[in-house]
Amino acid sequence: MSIHTLEVLVENEPGVLARVSGLFARRAYNIDTLVVGPTSNPEVSKMVIQVNLEGHSLEQVIAQLDKLISVISIEELVEGAKKPVKDTQPDYQN
Amino acid sequence: MATTHVPTANGTVMNGATSLVKSLEAAHVDVMFGLPGGAILPAYDPIFDSTIRHILVRHEQGAGHAATGYAQVTGRAGVCIATSGPGATNLVTPLMDAGMDSVPLVAITGQVPSAAIGTDAFQEADIRGITMPFTKHNFLVTKADDIPRAIAEAFHIATSGRPGPVLVDIAKDALQTQTTFNWPAKIELAGYNPKIVPDNQSISDAAALIAQSKKPVFYVGGGVIKANAHKELAQLVELLGAPVVTTLMARGAFPDSHPLHLGMPGMHGTVAAVTALQKADLLITLGARFDDRVTGKLSTFAVNAKVIHADIDPAEINKNKFADVPVIGDLRETITALIPALKSALAKNSQDLAPWNASMQKLKSTYPLGYTLPDDGSLSPQAVIERIGKISGTETIFTAGVGQHQMWASQFISYEHPRTWLNSGGAGTMGYGVPAAMGAKVGAPDSTVWAIDGDGCFQMTNQELVTCALNNIPIKVAIINNESLGMVRQWQTLFYEGRYSNTSLESKRVPNFPMLAEAMGCVGLSCERPEDLDATIEKAMSINDQPVVVDFRVHRDAMVWPMVAAGTSNDEIMIARATAPDWDSQEL
Repeated sequence: MSIHTLEVLVENEPGVLARVSGLFARRAYNIDTLVVGPTSNPEVSKMVIQVNLEGHSLEQVIAQLDKLISVISIEELVEGAKKPVKDTQPDYQN
Repeated sequence: MATTHVPTANGTVMNGATSLVKSLEAAHVDVMFGLPGGAILPAYDPIFDSTIRHILVRHEQGAGHAATGYAQVTGRAGVCIATSGPGATNLVTPLMDAGMDSVPLVAITGQVPSAAIGTDAFQEADIRGITMPFTKHNFLVTKADDIPRAIAEAFHIATSGRPGPVLVDIAKDALQTQTTFNWPAKIELAGYNPKIVPDNQSISDAAALIAQSKKPVFYVGGGVIKANAHKELAQLVELLGAPVVTTLMARGAFPDSHPLHLGMPGMHGTVAAVTALQKADLLITLGARFDDRVTGKLSTFAVNAKVIHADIDPAEINKNKFADVPVIGDLRETITALIPALKSALAKNSQDLAPWNASMQKLKSTYPLGYTLPDDGSLSPQAVIERIGKISGTETIFTAGVGQHQMWASQFISYEHPRTWLNSGGAGTMGYGVPAAMGAKVGAPDSTVWAIDGDGCFQMTNQELVTCALNNIPIKVAIINNESLGMVRQWQTLFYEGRYSNTSLESKRVPNFPMLAEAMGCVGLSCERPEDLDATIEKAMSINDQPVVVDFRVHRDAMVWPMVAAGTSNDEIMIARATAPDWDSQEL
């Protein structure tokens, strides 16, 4: 297991935190930390989520998060740099 | 992004309720199933004048499953509508059901006025929160101006990509407030853009893998029907000449009469279909999701097979089974692209599939589906279902409840066309059969629609027969009455030493099903003797101006075979109690 940090841009709308946290709960993924804040675009919020997961489970978290209509994009933060998850998983575009 | 047709009402001032109805008309809704109540009441006033046919159900759950039946038959979104609180929570089961089976459904619910939300007001329920886990998306609309966009987005989300249920909860004051109708000309959702066309690389990788395979099998799921890809599938199968299995959700995606069709895989699948998946060196997975009822104990499932997994939902890839070649996209696009790619791959490199096909055909002929007639001369449930299938023909649409009768209906009726077999596969919702048949008949009024139901299932949702009788929806219902919760009883027989705890329904005594049917405005028939079976079915077939309910009083102890017990390996398939296939005589 290792800590992975995901930066998730979401629609700034009521209930979006429940959508994301509910997904983690019902699919039995643990959240280590979760921080929500504004972005320069008032319609978009940023969530930084730390999860303690390994390869396959991490892949599933990202894929399931990406299915939420309110989730706009997901990037993994690696050693301070942003690594778009889409680049590592070309088939996971949506 | 999707573009829409902008209706002429755009720019007109109206209240939110009228805006809702205009929005539904703009989304080309022709029928909806619902039941009014306080919070949704403003919407029912313009519904009174709308061209949309509104069918007044007797329970909101019936509205939800009817919308699903309509959607499964037509391929269009089904629409149901209910009030706040209990009206909305009664839609929870159909929404979960539609989520599990990827059914395009739009549910509209009234909500208490926005100022009252969060106060535990009369008939207040957080239906958006409740339905978040199993809807594809949901909305809470508190402003009249937002209604058209929410409805447009709901239909777009429900019907595109992997279809699914979408709920739009609308506060009562939003329905009552004046607004200028503004149907969006285009829909853009930053977080939603389903991938339709598969990558060329994944197609050529898949084609190359297929051309190398000596033991391939097409593992066909419900996605093929959702994508309307059955014709393309038939071409692909003919091109390769490999065996096909169709899951419970895919029955009808490939004709049962085709020699390469081995039947249904899974817990109650055929020996040939289950074994084909187990022994294959390649699974060509098309719109299926490696459900536990198909794989059995996952660690022992298809251990020597490479996997091509084609699906429109990227989250299905590697969820249960690792995919060597994932192909993300619409299945019709995928198969259409795969055909020429496979042709050129086969031209360079092709394997002799004859030994593999021969061994599968031998299994198919050695272990056909079958049943033994009861020793006491009573009516066999399998025979009832088989004869209904034969007499009513392959153009008939069948729905089922959940349990033994559902499995027999999937086994002993021959499905030749997509969208002729409707059932609750993922959720296993008892009570699905009658309301789903109602919706199916509304969607396909010229087709014969039979609900194959159990006596347990029927007693959950039969009130919709009143709706059918009053609205000229002449469905036919076969109650396979074994006076038990039959599948649970079967498990008690096999795994609980015959201790039949709470599975005896005594439905041969109470209720009197034909009288109950007559009381609801239907024709009620009964059949207890094998010699009356065909005549009873023909009598039911001859009545087309009223719903018909037939109480088929069948033998109680019939069991569903073959069976892979829950949690065990597909290799442990039993063809009868304590009877495994004779593997030593098979060369696989």
